[in-house]
Amino acid sequence: MATKRIGQRVRGTTVYLLLSIGALLSVAPYLMTLNAAFKPQSTLLSTQAWTPAAPATWSNFTELWRQYDMSGFIVHTTIVAGVITIGQLVFTTMSAYAFARLDFPGREPLFWGFIAMMMVPQIVTLIPLFLIMSHLQLIDTYRALILPYVFGTPYGIFLVRQYFQTIPADLEAAARIDGAGTWTILRRIMLPLSKPILATLATITFVNTWNGLLWPLMATSSERDEVVTVGIAALQGQFASELHILLPAAAVALLPLVAIFLLFQRHIVRSIALTGLK
Amino acid sequence: MSANIAEVATKPPVAAAAPRRARRGRTTLEAYLLIGPSLFGFLAFLVAPVVIVFVLSLFSWNLITSPQFVGLANYRRMFTDSQSWHALLNTAYYVVLNIPLQTVLALLLALALNRRMRGTRFFRVVFVLPWMAMPVALGVIWNWIFDPRSGIIDHIISMLGFTGPNWLTSSTWAMPVVASVNVWQYTGYTMLFLLAGLQAIPQQVYEAAALDGVNAWQRFFRITLPLLRPSMFFVLVTNVIGSFQQFDTVFVMTQGGPGQSTTTLNYYIYQQAFQLFHAGYAATLSILLFAVILLVTIVQFRYFRKRTIYDFS
Repeated sequence: MATKRIGQRVRGTTVYLLLSIGALLSVAPYLMTLNAAFKPQSTLLSTQAWTPAAPATWSNFTELWRQYDMSGFIVHTTIVAGVITIGQLVFTTMSAYAFARLDFPGREPLFWGFIAMMMVPQIVTLIPLFLIMSHLQLIDTYRALILPYVFGTPYGIFLVRQYFQTIPADLEAAARIDGAGTWTILRRIMLPLSKPILATLATITFVNTWNGLLWPLMATSSERDEVVTVGIAALQGQFASELHILLPAAAVALLPLVAIFLLFQRHIVRSIALTGLK
Repeated sequence: MSANIAEVATKPPVAAAAPRRARRGRTTLEAYLLIGPSLFGFLAFLVAPVVIVFVLSLFSWNLITSPQFVGLANYRRMFTDSQSWHALLNTAYYVVLNIPLQTVLALLLALALNRRMRGTRFFRVVFVLPWMAMPVALGVIWNWIFDPRSGIIDHIISMLGFTGPNWLTSSTWAMPVVASVNVWQYTGYTMLFLLAGLQAIPQQVYEAAALDGVNAWQRFFRITLPLLRPSMFFVLVTNVIGSFQQFDTVFVMTQGGPGQSTTTLNYYIYQQAFQLFHAGYAATLSILLFAVILLVTIVQFRYFRKRTIYDFS
């Protein structure tokens, strides 16, 4: 009996040890980058990554901002990611409701058409999108960045439609008898009940847009509308070995999402797992 | 109202059908208004591009002068272009470095977290943190981590009395280093899905097995793993599709080098289109990538459909 308990204790400790190593590896790149960003240029290369930045200094950030329009990049990215996220939430909710609840001719072929396009890799659409946008003379504008993604993606529609189908139809039938129209039902019944999945959609969309490189790289070419990813890639090309500029820039690019995540982490962690279940 | 009732009483079938048809018409109109914006986006920015890409693959075009129709020349070129095969092999190598390691690590973490103990919520949050990191910024950070002079990896290696290779300038090591970014980024995220799958397995199955005297090894391979297949299927399909499209990390860390050793297919397509201005050929190569992803996904579907027979819902 005693040996069994010791065995359990040992196993419990081993599990905690493994999990702690994993946790350390998960946060180490973030912490090291943040730490390095505050080190004076002179000690950045001479001290170890785990040596704390003492004295900590903002000088790297001031230099980064002097050399580069970081505020501009962040503002542009926030605008693009914000508009796309809001648009996707609205349009995806609308179409997911129609696919989940309304009976109309063409529903099945349309829905499966959407699903079939989920497997198309992004690059396939990007060269034609570049042509379309140049033809409309929209290259190097916000519209070029926003239009292709603001109307929703097949993945998002699929996700929300699956969730809508789990909401009991009786609720709606009762509301319809009381004279509620589709719009009222969407606002008063579906939306409040679908917060977890809509939070997931918002998170995934915002993260993907914030982090996306390939399309902004093709569609923008001036400082008017360039986003953070393009800015950092250019910075890496220009200051390849100047870590006191590169690492603060990376920290600035990473931290907004981490902040948002920590704010909403309970919903997000629970709802990401939701997306995997059917 | 009363006229209506009288009508229904005299000619029931016709009169009942008319309002129903009217209601149906209204529903249809409403449905198309609701899906309208998404449908427009879908047709204009997804379906139309896919059609255009096939048309474009029949042309030679430098993005400036007018396109020349070349028939299947781009396809012939693709099959004889050793660089395109090289890029395809590199992509497959990247996927192979990535997926098995990431899936096994994620499964281990999920198993460790799937028990009643303190701190599971904390660990779940911490493990998901890498998922949202910007790959471009990670490329910058990984360049530093693996830098031979100032990087932490080589510091640790030299403390142990060895010298590390020049990671990113070595054609042997560059690809594993690039793949390690993705393993770091997606292991925790994958773990979340597997954990959800583990938690969906009913406890009774294990209790019944315990009565039959099943040992821990058998329990894992005969019960847990087979019952985890739906979640496994989801993470494998989505992660493989994602990995085949590697671009960002390569773009920032290695620009496809040294030599061609980290040129993935997606990066090669970008080079062809936007550095060499071979738009038609790039379109053809993107169709190749599409075909490869489609093929791999179909194989996964086949494999899992044959073996997934459990359904608890």
